[in-house]
Amino acid sequence: MNKQFNINELQLKYLELETLLDITNELSSFEHVSVLLQEILIKSCAVLNASSGMILMQDSNSDLFQIEAEFNIDVDALRGVIFNKKRGFFNEVNQHRKAIHLQIETDPFLSKTKCTYGLIAPLLDKKDLVGVIVLFDKESRLGISAFEESDTNMLSAIATQAGVAYNNIKLIENIKEAKTFNDNVMQSIVTGVFTTNLMGEINHVNRAAASIINLDREKVIGNHYEYVFESNEIINELISKCETALATISESQIQIDCNGKTTSVNISVSPLLNDQNEPIGSVVAMEDLSNLDKLKSTFKKYVSKQIVDQLLENDDMLNLGGQEQEATILFSDIRGFTSMSETMPPNEVVETLNEYFNLMIEIIFKYNGTLDKIIGDALMVIYGAPNSTDKDTENAVLTAIEMQEKLIEFNQQRIIHSKLPITIGIGINRGRVISGNIGSRQQMNFTVIGDSVNLASRLCSAAKADEIIVSDTVWKHVKTNKLFKGRKLNPIKVKGKAKPIEIREILYQRPSFNYEVAYGMIESFLINNLPKEYTYHSIHHIRDVVEQSERIAKKEKINKEDIADLKLAAWLHDVGYIWEPARHEARGAEYATVVLNAMDFPAQKINRITGMIMATKIPQSPKNLLEQIICDADLDYLGREDYKANSTLLLEELRLKKEISELEWLKIQDQFLTKHVYFTKTSNSTRNTQKAKVLANIKTQLKK
Amino acid sequence: MSGFIKSTKEENQIVIIETDGYLNNEGGEAISTICYEKMNEGKNKFLINMAGTKVVNSIGVSILIEIIEKLQEVDGKIGYYNLAPIVSKTFNIMGLTKYSTVFATEEEAVSGL
Repeated sequence: MNKQFNINELQLKYLELETLLDITNELSSFEHVSVLLQEILIKSCAVLNASSGMILMQDSNSDLFQIEAEFNIDVDALRGVIFNKKRGFFNEVNQHRKAIHLQIETDPFLSKTKCTYGLIAPLLDKKDLVGVIVLFDKESRLGISAFEESDTNMLSAIATQAGVAYNNIKLIENIKEAKTFNDNVMQSIVTGVFTTNLMGEINHVNRAAASIINLDREKVIGNHYEYVFESNEIINELISKCETALATISESQIQIDCNGKTTSVNISVSPLLNDQNEPIGSVVAMEDLSNLDKLKSTFKKYVSKQIVDQLLENDDMLNLGGQEQEATILFSDIRGFTSMSETMPPNEVVETLNEYFNLMIEIIFKYNGTLDKIIGDALMVIYGAPNSTDKDTENAVLTAIEMQEKLIEFNQQRIIHSKLPITIGIGINRGRVISGNIGSRQQMNFTVIGDSVNLASRLCSAAKADEIIVSDTVWKHVKTNKLFKGRKLNPIKVKGKAKPIEIREILYQRPSFNYEVAYGMIESFLINNLPKEYTYHSIHHIRDVVEQSERIAKKEKINKEDIADLKLAAWLHDVGYIWEPARHEARGAEYATVVLNAMDFPAQKINRITGMIMATKIPQSPKNLLEQIICDADLDYLGREDYKANSTLLLEELRLKKEISELEWLKIQDQFLTKHVYFTKTSNSTRNTQKAKVLANIKTQLKK
Repeated sequence: MSGFIKSTKEENQIVIIETDGYLNNEGGEAISTICYEKMNEGKNKFLINMAGTKVVNSIGVSILIEIIEKLQEVDGKIGYYNLAPIVSKTFNIMGLTKYSTVFATEEEAVSGL
């Protein structure tokens, strides 16, 4: 071999020094630890003629080390190896604090590798071992060999440099992380925050502050606060005061002009101090009170206004840790809603539930209940938590009674509109509960739990439609109040209780049938539902029949109760036009039967109403005086001055079905009026003269 | 072909070897094996495309020197292109560039060898 080509020791030392210098120079240029470690490893392998190598770094949360850089190693041989700091080479390398030779064959971590020789050096963060660099099998032209003493020194030197660089990068990463964290916190908080420097220039504005003052952050940063807030002297004054006093200055509920938008805010200005306690600016925190208003309004969906206000005034009322206390729990549940909803389109199910809940929740809040949950069609309401009064149980019972009473009115409206009525059962119990904010960090709700809650739910299940069932404990709390009447029921067995539970039904007055309410509801239903194209059979005609029925009945000396029934029939006599004009009397009678039954109208009188409706069918066939009256009222206009106007509307309506000529119409009227007779004395005496004139006029026209 | 030798081709009577990975003892042996085979076939010009080689150690360099010595006996040449800066620096320090040529691109290498 030609000697001129031999690699001499001097060249190798030169290469080592250059490599070390490269590492030193380049280490500060890496921004990421992973890139740094890979570069160190590659250079170490190259300069020390190692066939392969790896860098292990300690996991920040444990004593385990992970491979963070690897070069030319058999990764499969190391798969599953747990590099535990407490085992193997870690102790030794930590003690020596410089590179040492490894016995690969006996090493608990590396014995599975095909390597023979190893050299390991510690990466230190001050005194702590944070990582190791491991090189395997020094190469030579004769094969592999152990690393030499000079290699140990070289790797120690590299590891020392690497440790410094690693710590620098970690420090920068930590600073960046802390800055990002602070920025994220500042940007995410709802309180508006901005800071000023000693010159009074705004140097930081978070998102909330920009939103509150209604200005872009770019337009604010770098400008003096007096310029930014020139239209808000009060803010400038507060900052100025803070700068002078070096103390926190606060002002509540002030109105500020935010770029044309007036906002109510709480402001707090504090001096910003450095670590020498010297002022370096001010920090201004702004709380947008419109958000508080939104919060209040959201909160009020769940608890009454009174409780919201109390909670906002007194934070201590909210015991976040949970507490055992006495509370009254009300459960209500719609009976048969599942089967009922199966017959309804989905939008009607939602609409029905929303209408129902709106009504019920209004009552719950009226009596200071806290709406704990809406579970499908069931409601769970708490009284006495978070705040308790001596009226909690009474309020719960009053709620239950009013819920049932309001539901009657609610159902009357539904029935009138041909919708199925809703019935509910209610159960109330009082007892010890655990109350508090229960849930996960993501979602936490104030609620109560415990046996007493379960029993309230079971009482609700035991209650039949329209019933309010309360436990004996509830009854004992309310029985002294004469408002409440309870009926003792047979004790019931409930799951989880060995002894049967003493229960009572709370009695309440179910309102009797109210004619005026019924007239109003029917009229409203007719207005909304009668087909608009029916010009004659309109609400005006029906009102006229009601009015004439009453007038004739009074002349006929009919008593008040019968007049009330007569008017009810009059309101309902043409309701069938909504569904089936051709047989509207029969359809109206069917509707009247269902509606009046559901409205607690005396059952024995329903036939009287349907009889009157059916009697109006042409040719009229009254069987009693009331039926005669409604028949005469229905055709009262035949003998009135306004005959022409009414007949014109009727013709218009009839022409919807077929074309009718003027002549044909005259013939129809002639025929009808000729045959028609009034049944009552009143109508005969008051309407016949005019009716004769009308008929004569028609006959005259026919002759023409 | 070893994992280190990615490809070999011939162009203008020049054998072009593309490498991938650590130019150490093993990598150097892989190159020398091909070179010696081709020299037996009468080839005496070699180019090594080192785009895939980012690391080299002194053993790898010493093998390249051995190849250069053999080539000198047959009036042959070897050159390299697509060198990473650290590889180029190592070649310089180890004195390799005194006896062989480093090119920037394949075109330059093929025409300049």
